[in-house]
Amino acid sequence: MATSKSDMKGFFKQKKKSGGITKAKAKSSSTKKSLSPKRSATYGSDITQPAALISHGSPDIEDDYDEKEEVLRQFDMNMAYGPCLGMSRLARWERAKSLGMNPPEDIGHLLKAGKVGAECLWEGRV
Amino acid sequence: METEDSSSENGLLHRKQALYSSLDSCFEIQKEMYRGQQYSQIYFARLHLMRTLLYSLLPNWKPHIHVCTVIGLEEGKECIIVGTLYKHMKLKPSILEEYSKERSATPLVRPHNFMHPDDHLILEDESGRIKVCGDVLLPSVYVTGVVVALHGKETGTGDFWVEDVMEAGIPHQIERPIKSGEDKYVIFVSGLDIGSSTSNPLKFQLLVDHITGHLGDKKEQSIAAKIVRVIIAGNSVEIPRGLLNGQNLGSKDQFTLSEPIKELDIQLTQIAAGIPVDIMPGPNDPANFSLPQQPLHRCLFPSSSAYNTFRSCPNPHLFQLDDVSLLGTSGQNIDDLEKYSDANDKLEFLERTLRWRHVAPTAPNTLGCYPFTDRDPFFVETCPHVYFVGNQEKYETRLIKGAEGQIVRLICIPRFSETGVAVVLNLRNLECHALSFGTEFG
Repeated sequence: MATSKSDMKGFFKQKKKSGGITKAKAKSSSTKKSLSPKRSATYGSDITQPAALISHGSPDIEDDYDEKEEVLRQFDMNMAYGPCLGMSRLARWERAKSLGMNPPEDIGHLLKAGKVGAECLWEGRV
Repeated sequence: METEDSSSENGLLHRKQALYSSLDSCFEIQKEMYRGQQYSQIYFARLHLMRTLLYSLLPNWKPHIHVCTVIGLEEGKECIIVGTLYKHMKLKPSILEEYSKERSATPLVRPHNFMHPDDHLILEDESGRIKVCGDVLLPSVYVTGVVVALHGKETGTGDFWVEDVMEAGIPHQIERPIKSGEDKYVIFVSGLDIGSSTSNPLKFQLLVDHITGHLGDKKEQSIAAKIVRVIIAGNSVEIPRGLLNGQNLGSKDQFTLSEPIKELDIQLTQIAAGIPVDIMPGPNDPANFSLPQQPLHRCLFPSSSAYNTFRSCPNPHLFQLDDVSLLGTSGQNIDDLEKYSDANDKLEFLERTLRWRHVAPTAPNTLGCYPFTDRDPFFVETCPHVYFVGNQEKYETRLIKGAEGQIVRLICIPRFSETGVAVVLNLRNLECHALSFGTEFG
């Protein structure tokens, strides 16, 4: 790059410092939760959506999940319970239970209560 | 249901009966729901099931060797790993070869067997996979999908050098009470191929007449009266597939298409009228393609399904007669093993599947299979007393003994349309002989 250091700031358009990934503008309401990927695999880092890329637009993916979803994602990623794709989370938990793997009971309660994502992290995205 | 004395009363012979119970519920897929899952789920279920089993057997085999996963291997350190074998085969047909510019190696003299000296085995579990080398584990014997425990160490080149291998072994068998009992026979027949040019309707009619006691004198009829069940192990019809070319069928063609099944129904009615009969689907029958094949539908057999002695069963078929448990398939599992591995005879393939405790290890890799998510129905829980396979070239049988005293009668049932041979098994002592029907003169 031929520009000198002092020009770097002018090269990239300035962006408001909002810390981390910004929330997207209100999208058309996605009624089917399973269809629109609302989850991000990169928690706390902006490696896939660096500030430079979203300086003129908005992130592709929304990122609003709470700690319940985080717990469920860890359950999805746990290799001991087998592959997570192609099965609903509850079915996978039931399978783990019937195979004698003693999955944590609170995940079972969380899934049966029904207010959390029923499908795994990668559902619809792979 | 107790047996009736077969000695004549008032000149009438009574057929013996045996207590039958079907254990096929694990092979039914009506309750399964397909959610777009792939085969990784069934492989996981199989690995978990068999790994738990193998871990429980390890203390008796090599108690002091450290057990670890593939990713936990350290170079030079002796340990035991458990995983699913994958056999990398150069000549195995791959759909991707259609897209590659250069063609793969030309097939050897035996195009129906895909083995090659360069084939090698890889052991895989959830954490990773490692190439397996050494003289103990022969690639010609093993196939993809078998779960084993390997004792060895990782070499400098990143392979796993095997010193010893442990298979799951023949499962525990429920002992039969030792009592003299009386002779009761089961007839196995397969490959009737009704509707094909090779099948001779007279031969099958002879078989039906013999079973139902319409042939022979009193002595021969009294032998036939001891037959308690007939098992038809697949490939009962040959549908003229040449008619199915994508066009709508005219009424004449529809008639020709359904003729073999109608003929089979007529023959089965004759059998079912006198003796319980189990019919299993085979590779050429009008049933689903992937294992476990579901029972042939009742509407195909309008007259024979009216009898309660007629029973349509899945493939594989697991059932119990008196206290003898029988397990068998219509041949797809053994035929697939023959394509991807080597053995002295078909009975050796049968024995291997029993020692691997899995009826169809190559499913779903090269054998069509339903993508189960939470179980693997082909896992053999308890050792059967009789293990049969249908649609083979010739009649072969052997009695094998397991380490815990299990005794299994292995039977290869030949194709009836080609050989005219049916197999007779005596439930009392598990002895087997062939019943052959010929229609040539001179």
